[in-house]
Amino acid sequence: MVHTCVTCGRVFPDSSPEILSGCSGCGGKKFYFERPVSHKKTSSSPPPLQKEREKPEEEKPVVSPEEDRSSRVESIRIIAPGTYELNIEKMAKCDDRVVSLGREGSYAVDLLSMAGKKKKKG
Amino acid sequence: MSIFVHAKKRVSRFLSAFFRKRRSRIGIYGPPNAGKTTLANRIAKDWTGETVGPVSEIPHETRRALRKQDITITGTNGSTITIDIVDTPGVTTKIDYKEFLEYGVGKDEAILRAREATEGVAEAMHWLREDIDGVIYMLDSTEDPFAQVNIMMIGIIESRKLPVIIAANKIDLPDASPQQIRNAFPQHPVIPISCTAGSNIEELYEKMVFHFG
Repeated sequence: MVHTCVTCGRVFPDSSPEILSGCSGCGGKKFYFERPVSHKKTSSSPPPLQKEREKPEEEKPVVSPEEDRSSRVESIRIIAPGTYELNIEKMAKCDDRVVSLGREGSYAVDLLSMAGKKKKKG
Repeated sequence: MSIFVHAKKRVSRFLSAFFRKRRSRIGIYGPPNAGKTTLANRIAKDWTGETVGPVSEIPHETRRALRKQDITITGTNGSTITIDIVDTPGVTTKIDYKEFLEYGVGKDEAILRAREATEGVAEAMHWLREDIDGVIYMLDSTEDPFAQVNIMMIGIIESRKLPVIIAANKIDLPDASPQQIRNAFPQHPVIPISCTAGSNIEELYEKMVFHFG
């Protein structure tokens, strides 16, 4: 059971204080959580288990900051007043604006824009 | 009732296909300070005698999409296209008010400008999705064309299957390298131009008539 930092790839064991306070390396607060391998399988079939254990390491995505930016949920991120990060790909897909406000985990959502598509004039 | 409305819509669409003059909306997209408004002004001035919007050295001078309608461009072979030019705010992935401070803009105004520019980018992306039939993607040929935002934008334009012409602007500057832009996007026509000096604009018009017509 490990948490991998999305930004720098550092690995933290479960329940480490960094999960709440931020990565000790880069300060990032987003982590991938890797699910524990179930114990039932370990007892019944050891060879597949090895494969399963290897898999997460092989498939661990190397995420660059730019890729991370485009995969975020928010279309606009307000880092500080007057400083914004824009997710162009998200904006290109739909008009829904999800805005993350300064502190991590604080979001604004424009409900009106998500209420449904405007009817186009034919 | 809804059947009646639906039938009316279908008939009007059918008739408009025959009688309505089709006007393409051409969006000028690109990173900030590439010369989008300068090009929009030049196109509008050359073919209508009017301008579209103000130009300045400060990035994000254009913070709302500006439109100039009914521009008829004639090619050398006599064929014409009638277009609406949409000049859009510079698309970027990060906007920081501090970059405006370098140009002597006060802090409060810079923060407001950054907010408007952010809204402008969202608006530009909205137009690209809803209302644009073709794109002139404007690049500064003195800058690296492989910037993430350019790759992303060209990808988005391609995914929407919109015809695109890449204008490699500022070829009058000594360190301009339009060839680098050609190498970066070999799948699209690249026209080296200088909007300020007016170099090679005719070739761009020819390409527009051919490509967007």
